[in-house]
Amino acid sequence: MARKAGKPKSRPRKPGSRKAVRKKPGLLRRSFRLLALLIGLGIGLCVPWVIWLDIQVRDEFEGRIWDIPSRVYARPLSLYSGKPISKESLLLELKASGYREKPTASVPGSYSVNGNNFDINRRAFIFEDGSEPASRFRLQLSGNTIRTLGVVSGSGTPGLVRLDPAEIASIYPLHDEDRTLVALKDVPELLITGLQAVEDRQFKHHHGVSFRSIARAFVANMKAARAVQGGSTLTQQLVKNYFLSNERTLIRKVNEAIMAVLLEWHYDKAQILEAYVNEIFMGQQGKHAIHGFGRASEFYFDRPLQDLDPQQIALLVGMVRGASLYNPRRNPERALQRRDQVLDIFGITGLLTQTEINNAKSHPLGVTTKPRSGGSRYPAFVDLVRRQLRRDYQASDLSSEGLKIFTTLAPSEQEYAQKAVSEGLYDLKQRGLPADLQAALVLADVASGEVRALVGDRVAGRNGFNRALDARRQIGSVIKPLVYLLALEHVDDYNLITPVKDEPISLRQADGKIWSPENYDHKSHGEIPLMDALIHSYNQATVQVGLSVGVANLIRKIKQLGVVVEIPPVPASLLGAVELTPIEVTQMYQSLAAGGYSVPLRSVTAVLTPQGALLSRYPLRFMPLENREAVALLSFALTRVVEEGTAKALHGLLGNDTLIAGKTGTTNERRDSWFVGYTRDRVAVSWVGLDDNRPASVTGGNAAMRVWARLFRKVPIEAVDLRMPDGANFVWVDIRQQALTEPSCPEAVQIPFIEGSEPQRSTKCLEKQAGKNKESLWRKWFGRKD
Amino acid sequence: MDAKIKLLGALIILLLAACSSQPPVPVDTTHQEVDTRVRAPASEDSAGVQVYSLQNPAVKELTAQAQLAENAGKLDQASGYLERALRIEPRDPQLLQHMAEIKLQKADYQQALNFAVRSYDIGPRVGEICSRNWRTISVAREHLNDAAGASDAEARATRCMNTRPKGY
Repeated sequence: MARKAGKPKSRPRKPGSRKAVRKKPGLLRRSFRLLALLIGLGIGLCVPWVIWLDIQVRDEFEGRIWDIPSRVYARPLSLYSGKPISKESLLLELKASGYREKPTASVPGSYSVNGNNFDINRRAFIFEDGSEPASRFRLQLSGNTIRTLGVVSGSGTPGLVRLDPAEIASIYPLHDEDRTLVALKDVPELLITGLQAVEDRQFKHHHGVSFRSIARAFVANMKAARAVQGGSTLTQQLVKNYFLSNERTLIRKVNEAIMAVLLEWHYDKAQILEAYVNEIFMGQQGKHAIHGFGRASEFYFDRPLQDLDPQQIALLVGMVRGASLYNPRRNPERALQRRDQVLDIFGITGLLTQTEINNAKSHPLGVTTKPRSGGSRYPAFVDLVRRQLRRDYQASDLSSEGLKIFTTLAPSEQEYAQKAVSEGLYDLKQRGLPADLQAALVLADVASGEVRALVGDRVAGRNGFNRALDARRQIGSVIKPLVYLLALEHVDDYNLITPVKDEPISLRQADGKIWSPENYDHKSHGEIPLMDALIHSYNQATVQVGLSVGVANLIRKIKQLGVVVEIPPVPASLLGAVELTPIEVTQMYQSLAAGGYSVPLRSVTAVLTPQGALLSRYPLRFMPLENREAVALLSFALTRVVEEGTAKALHGLLGNDTLIAGKTGTTNERRDSWFVGYTRDRVAVSWVGLDDNRPASVTGGNAAMRVWARLFRKVPIEAVDLRMPDGANFVWVDIRQQALTEPSCPEAVQIPFIEGSEPQRSTKCLEKQAGKNKESLWRKWFGRKD
Repeated sequence: MDAKIKLLGALIILLLAACSSQPPVPVDTTHQEVDTRVRAPASEDSAGVQVYSLQNPAVKELTAQAQLAENAGKLDQASGYLERALRIEPRDPQLLQHMAEIKLQKADYQQALNFAVRSYDIGPRVGEICSRNWRTISVAREHLNDAAGASDAEARATRCMNTRPKGY
């Protein structure tokens, strides 16, 4: 204690200050300890933090299998000399495939036209059966046919080229990111170099963060007294895009920088750049975010990235700074200014010459007024595609694997079908029919069953109730041909001229009520040839014939023709009290139009992986029906419906007298109007009515047939082929006398018969002639049977 | 001596070959069978009677490509070319018959039958193509276990040369 007292100079110490007293001489040690503590803390906190960031960034980079929407393509248009196609259709097809008209077709994806001469520069494309390089060809139209076609450059089969198909829809993943993946090697050089010139000139040299860029940005921002330049490297921007956060905090910046360095540590520049060009946010379409330059190019310019001009590349590069700010559709002036600014940078960095810059600047922005439809250009058809694919693919695969789906749609015919419906219904309104009529229209290829066009609403492109697939409506007289088909299969009882009775008939139904069908004209026509009952669509005769062949057989027949629905086994079904959808009716008539070869209607032909490997093909398969001779006879009768029966106004509506087979259909109280018609190669079904099934004042002839005719005014019409199959022949007969005759005899008409069902006796006229020249007649009638 | 060694060697190879457990070759209709049972006899039957429609050059080109693919054993590719050609000329009996022959080689006998029948229905019903139609029908029926139908079709093939076209 005294010792303590003897040291008065010493400052009083607090108890426990011995440490401090002891530490004083070790100030260095104290600093060292602090440092150690900090390092300890650093190691304890930062290292796990960095490791955590590393895991995150690597997960994101490597584990990120981009969910790529599937792309749905129309059928590729085949062009060859002799192909029937109008100039209007060819232009529509080129437009649908995203081709641009230019003074010279110097770049892929462009064409020039001079009168009837087309010069088309076809893009390289992976078709369902392999990839084809770009090729340039010229063709000349003459009338509505390709007269000559020649490949100018690039490989191509002489005389046959395919246009790359129109992209008609995308099937999106759940989180709604839309992108078209591009490989770095397919990205235009100017975009790669330009991007670095504008966004990150040190890209090749830095390790994720560029202090020089930060300094340069700092100076620029100070000068401008606002943030005009960012110091982020492309790698940092990529990180930022990965985690999509716009938070402007220091911690985020630090994280971003650390992650950028880590990315550079793990991956090479090319990998980072490729990820960048596919990841960068480039705009928004509804709920779909546009990611990457590949999709941006399609979204803004409706063309692939490889086809872009310098000024378009400059715009995309400029938009990296702010896809909304420089959105060329919403802020065109600002976008133009930014594009030109970028072009100047291209000039400063030596990427473009002054002449090229001046030329580029002289162009407008060049963006399409409307973006390529995000969901689907033809929603009703794509609905059918989805339903077909649902059988083989999970919904999640369709929306994430970037599949290429090749369909059967013909864009020009789809456009015509949509117009036929919208303009047709407008015309019907002018004619005093309800303004809110609805319609559906299906067009398919007879032989292959490929659906070429499908309309499910009066408003083109509206995605809602798809009447073509889902409107189940009574089909009325459209069912009658099947009743007569069944009758003609009974060779011993019926041929086309067999007399049938069209007279009042009353039947007691299951509920005890009496059913007495009447004819449309409220008259009965007595005894008439079977064919006439169909041609004039007489109800009473049809019921008589139908009862003799059996309602159960009719139902069986509908199933045989590929339509699986429950149909009540009641006599009213004979007159079409049967509810079917337009697509089902198309299926039913496809078999008839194809001469008794049933093909399931198809909308998809193949599905490929994004790289072009085949996943599935849906090949042409068909099934011959039995009794094809009866089908051939029926086809003949259906051509008579158009020539002289309920559809005889059709030729006038078409302005064309080519042989067509058809049938009208009207239901009770004029609620539904149907028309089914086929040419040699096309079958189409049109329906018109009101959604709530109110009486609509429509008949088959006054509404649906008009819509049908509007479509067929635009597509090639080939005459129905009435050549008879084995076992059926055309024979000269006198219908009134039910007897064989000669062309020179009065009342002689040529009608097809199944062998053995021809009339057994001859007209007097024929007997007289037979006496004169027995031998020649013998040869005429029976010579064919040897 | 030398000859004996050679013979012994050959015998050993033969024995080894017999012992090896090669999977049995499926008894499908091969390209060769289509040639020997359908195409060659039909060509022989026809002896100059050929009723061919004039083919569109594009169809001709696709047919040639299909034939090359078929010769290389690439049957799916051959079908693809023919289907493209059928989109251009859906009613060309030669295309339909060619497809039937591809289906035979793919052992899809029902479709082979259907394509051949359709080719006959819309074809000339005489001459070489008719004979190929019925010979294909015959082979397909045979594989579909319809022996009677197969021999009927075989007989029908021989009549292609003396039957006049019907149905006009």
